[in-house]
Amino acid sequence: MRDSLAGRLGDRRLLAGFALAIVAIAVVPPLLNSLWLRVMLSSVIFTIAATGTALLYARLGLVSLAQVALVGVGGWVTLRMWHATGLPFELNMLVAGAVSALVGMLVGLPALRMRGLYLAIITLMAAAGFQILVTGTQFPNGGSGWLGIAVNSIFMPRPRFGHSDEAMLRYASVVALLCFGLVAWARHSRPGRAWALIRKSEACAMAAGVNVALYKAWGFAIAGFLAGIAGALLAGTIGVLDATTFPASESILLFALTVVGGAYSALGQVLTGLLFRAAPALLNDWGVDGNLAYALFGIGLLHALITAPQGIAGQILDGLARLRRPRSER
Amino acid sequence: MSKPKPSFTPWAKPAAAALFGLAFAGSAAAAPKLCGLDNGKPATGAPIIVGAVVGKTGPDDFSSSARTAKAYFDCVNANGGIHGRPIQYLIEDDQWKPEVAGQVASKLVKDRGVVALVGNGSFVEMTVNAKLYEQQNVAVVASACAVRECFEAKNIASTNQGPVPSNISAVQWGVQHLGSKKVACIGLNIPSNGVWSCNLTNEWLKDKGLQGVSVLMDPGAPDANSALLEAVASGADTMLVSLPAGLAQAFLKAAQEQDLRDKYKWISPTPLYKEGIPQALGAYWAGKVHIAIELTPWNGTGPDAKRWRAVMDKYAAKSDPRDTFSEAGFVSANIFVDTLLKMDPKKIDRANVTAALKAVKNYRSDLLCGPWYFGNADFHQANHASQMVVAEKDGFKSETGCFDVTGKYFDKIRAMEKAEHLTGN
Amino acid sequence: MYGVFFVTGLAMGALYALSGVGLVVLYRCTGVLNLAYGALGAAGAMLAWQLEQWAYPEPVAWAAALAVATLLSFVYGRFLAPRLAFREPVIKAVATLGFALVILGILNYFWVEAPRRLSLSTDDLGLRMLGVRITGTRVLVVMATLLMTLGITLFLNRTRIGLLMRALASQRDLASMLGVPVGRVEATAWLISGLLAGFTGLMFGDLVRPNPGALTFLVIPAMAAAVVGRLQSLSLTLAGGLVIGVAESMATLVHPIAAYRSATPFIVATLLLLWLQRKRRLTFSGQD
Repeated sequence: MRDSLAGRLGDRRLLAGFALAIVAIAVVPPLLNSLWLRVMLSSVIFTIAATGTALLYARLGLVSLAQVALVGVGGWVTLRMWHATGLPFELNMLVAGAVSALVGMLVGLPALRMRGLYLAIITLMAAAGFQILVTGTQFPNGGSGWLGIAVNSIFMPRPRFGHSDEAMLRYASVVALLCFGLVAWARHSRPGRAWALIRKSEACAMAAGVNVALYKAWGFAIAGFLAGIAGALLAGTIGVLDATTFPASESILLFALTVVGGAYSALGQVLTGLLFRAAPALLNDWGVDGNLAYALFGIGLLHALITAPQGIAGQILDGLARLRRPRSER
Repeated sequence: MSKPKPSFTPWAKPAAAALFGLAFAGSAAAAPKLCGLDNGKPATGAPIIVGAVVGKTGPDDFSSSARTAKAYFDCVNANGGIHGRPIQYLIEDDQWKPEVAGQVASKLVKDRGVVALVGNGSFVEMTVNAKLYEQQNVAVVASACAVRECFEAKNIASTNQGPVPSNISAVQWGVQHLGSKKVACIGLNIPSNGVWSCNLTNEWLKDKGLQGVSVLMDPGAPDANSALLEAVASGADTMLVSLPAGLAQAFLKAAQEQDLRDKYKWISPTPLYKEGIPQALGAYWAGKVHIAIELTPWNGTGPDAKRWRAVMDKYAAKSDPRDTFSEAGFVSANIFVDTLLKMDPKKIDRANVTAALKAVKNYRSDLLCGPWYFGNADFHQANHASQMVVAEKDGFKSETGCFDVTGKYFDKIRAMEKAEHLTGN
Repeated sequence: MYGVFFVTGLAMGALYALSGVGLVVLYRCTGVLNLAYGALGAAGAMLAWQLEQWAYPEPVAWAAALAVATLLSFVYGRFLAPRLAFREPVIKAVATLGFALVILGILNYFWVEAPRRLSLSTDDLGLRMLGVRITGTRVLVVMATLLMTLGITLFLNRTRIGLLMRALASQRDLASMLGVPVGRVEATAWLISGLLAGFTGLMFGDLVRPNPGALTFLVIPAMAAAVVGRLQSLSLTLAGGLVIGVAESMATLVHPIAAYRSATPFIVATLLLLWLQRKRRLTFSGQD
């Protein structure tokens, strides 16, 4: 085991990606106009959410179709915390992450005994249930009581470092980088090794003394935590949330796009965020009829699933690898 | 067809024309008055950028107001524009998603620098964007508002009524003419829409010593049956079907299945006043569903009503609906154009336009039942007078002329109107 | 009062059950959980509505609804599904989501939201039972569900093609090695599933409303019914669907939870699935 930082992080590629991200965060936001600042902000937020889905799918082989619902949970907790306590945003964000992690673990409890399609369906049912629940209870907007519904909405203010859209984009991007870091750390330490073994064969894992239930739950917890962070950022960006943002269909779509973007690399998750929010916004900006855009999206999804099992990121990275090979053979 | 417009209505054009000394009267006698300066000269100056945010793709299509406003602006641009300056109208679709609504409003207000928004029609955008509009000092003359935040935002004023006056007008008429004593308000369980409007309706009934019950349903519910059965179980004698057209029709269909028509009185706010509804309801419901409409009927004979239909025929697509939102969009566009025509064309920027729009008062049109104003208050509910129509087999029939709504909620509004002389008294 | 809710719930439950049966038959034979099932039905319902508007006779509208759903299902099954044949079941299901989006987008494009009513002649017939008026459509739905489920069970158990379908369902690789004509058998499954989708779509269009979005997402409660049958047993799916429908409707009577009654299918399905899986301990990568 190499002990250098690069070794611990595993990859030169990882460092390169990190550096590229830092440059992008510094350089890109001022170049974007108001519409694209907000669209990129949405994309970054859902990149964080997609990271959770990708973690479960790529590392554990578990399908969660409830991630957007967990984002909603995170948003709800953030808003409730702020309206109740007025604590700083970062604290509310962490609490939201923790609560979503807990809910994520609850949703993942069936995973202890199921995987694949059955688990997917259970998580989808949970997402549908959340959709119905939150449509009835709505999101807190300054009222009293457990649900916190007020007649006149009070908007939650932006976090201290995110008052302008540009600053908020940078803020969210930094949080996203930290989330990538969290996942990378988990992958390269004990949970990651346990997950790899569980994915191969649970029997082997148990035989090797790995606590399968615990590590599966831990995977769901991290995915839930990431969703909660994303929800907090979403609530922080807009200031108020609406139940129509979190239907069950969005959760399925997020999973689909995670696979299409590429579940096996951070680049894939970035692509997922862009596909989930930036692509529809682009089509809307070009004036493409919303319904036709939907249909185009479906065609793209089908095509990508059929032709790119490793996702678009997989194709890109494979392409880059093939470009690099001649050089290393010199 | 080419009858010249009869007499000049006192509120707009002659004063403006005289003020700017244009040869308005000269060209007026030749062609029918349609829009703006009516001089047949295409506008070619620096464009005035105006925006609109509508909910087009999604559970319903609220874009007819913006499409009508576009038709009107096209007409204005072909007839001299705003003293030679054309209006460039940018319509954005918020897809019924709050995130997207925030994005497109940012695009219009910050990137495109619109001087105002005219013809907005959405369920979600007012809530998300009210603060943005206030911060950026841009005024919105909306046309299809359905949520509370639209009526209680500083910079948004709509030409339509929204659910509260519409509900209460229907109930008021029902109490007077049908003898309603206990009304079940069937609405959506959305706090800023159904919960709000049904609560206020129930309060109105309580003030009159009568009873009101809310029956709220989830818009995503698979069928209307449980809402129907809950309404029946409430013991009401009148059903106020305060739902969007599609759901309202499904609700009435469920009632038809149980043959409940003659057991209750049926009233409704404006959404059921939509093309296709009489046919969708069928002969069973003919003459039984009384609807309170927010603007005057589509076949009105007043000058503005005729202009509206003429402009739509000439400048809009055949498939663009000629419904209440379209009328409201027409009125919004007229208010905007009339206001700008009074301004110095070289000084048309956002700050001046916002100030001018907020100063609009006592605006009258035969498409509206009462005078319209923007006002400087934190709430805007200028349109609160209605008419009643009933759904017949092949269409709608007018039942009453314009009547104003009463009640404690509106007393506050009327007091403000009086104090600021917004309605000409 | 109870009678009304029971009858309403029975009809909706029957449709959930029938949709579930369609899903299960397809899944058993091809391994694909068709998320586009509701969209197929929606396409049928909208076409039927349109034909009614153009004053075509009603049998034509019915036939067109069934035909279009069956055709779309067949097209997907014959041309797109084979390209994903070797991927895991979840991916196959997610791909059908793409298909659903395409159909839904096109339907919404052509049929902009407007108040619509799909009337079938069975609406006009009715009988009174338990103090409630039951339309012919509801009776048709319940009877059709029972008959079709029985019919399909017999088909699977008594005919040669049914035998081949069951063979594919249990051990796909072995079956193809034994000479089962995979393509043809799968196509049959897609056809049957499409036909059921068309019928349930038409019925939902009448009982609920002909709105593409609403009809498409009725696939989720249908999946709940299918899940109760463990994606295997038709009779359990039937029972599950009926129970879910009735429970959802009766929940209206329980006031605190009435607003959330639409969640009943999911709660019932989740609880049942957890209970049915209670003995399972290990899972092995690659199998489900």
